[in-house]
Amino acid sequence: MPPDNTNFMIAAYVVAAIILVGYTLSLLARIRDQRRRD
Amino acid sequence: MTLRESGARIARLGGVVTAVALLGVAAVYLRALKYTPVEATQGAAQKIFYIHVPAAWAGLMAFVVTGLLSILYLWLKDRRIDLAAAASAEVGVAFSFVILTTGPIWGKPIWGTWWTWDARLTSTLFLFLLFVGYIVLRGVLTDPGMRGRFSAVIGIMGMILVPFIHLTVYMFRTLHPAPIVLKPSRPSLPDDMLTTLMMSVAVFSVLYVGFLMLRYALGLLHEAHEEELADAS
Repeated sequence: MPPDNTNFMIAAYVVAAIILVGYTLSLLARIRDQRRRD
Repeated sequence: MTLRESGARIARLGGVVTAVALLGVAAVYLRALKYTPVEATQGAAQKIFYIHVPAAWAGLMAFVVTGLLSILYLWLKDRRIDLAAAASAEVGVAFSFVILTTGPIWGKPIWGTWWTWDARLTSTLFLFLLFVGYIVLRGVLTDPGMRGRFSAVIGIMGMILVPFIHLTVYMFRTLHPAPIVLKPSRPSLPDDMLTTLMMSVAVFSVLYVGFLMLRYALGLLHEAHEEELADAS
């Protein structure tokens, strides 16, 4: 019977999603700001 | 084509590539969580492997690209190469952040500790901090030539660390598992798990390209703005 550590799995997937989506949004926002400045 | 036009074009294309890659990440999540079997000894936490390993692949690839572009920059002295190297370094730091957060979350239930100062973990943290330093250095140097040269040297040193990090599990006694795919013999993983891992590696590679294009476009747009300010003054 495998150990029940589902919470750790969910935490890792959520953290990775936050970093990847967050970085995408940060890049898009920085590009938008740079284009507004021009 | 002007720098601004190139930047705008690459930003549009990079946005599309990143959006496609993020949809791919969602598909990997679905496949890994719902359709890939639970490993018998580690349980559900083993599935962290399907994001941790591809993030490590993308992050280390980003740092190798930074190193290669840095060599090219020192040779050709083209500022666009310097901008591309810097873009790849920042993307590598973002992926390293995924490595350094998902790793400890796996380590706690499997090793019983969030962190241990063994060779693989310490050298990965060192590489991450080296490239954070690279980004900080670029922020404080105002002369473009000096910024390009200094950061290129750090970029090359970072690239040299990458194969060392891969080999740490063979060179030192370490808690970190040895490679199960990137090794001389056949991958030691059941087919359905291997398919999920390979799918994730492919998706993270495309995501790296998308991020790189967006960050490079940002660099070009910033460079165009700086050039116009310099011309105006």
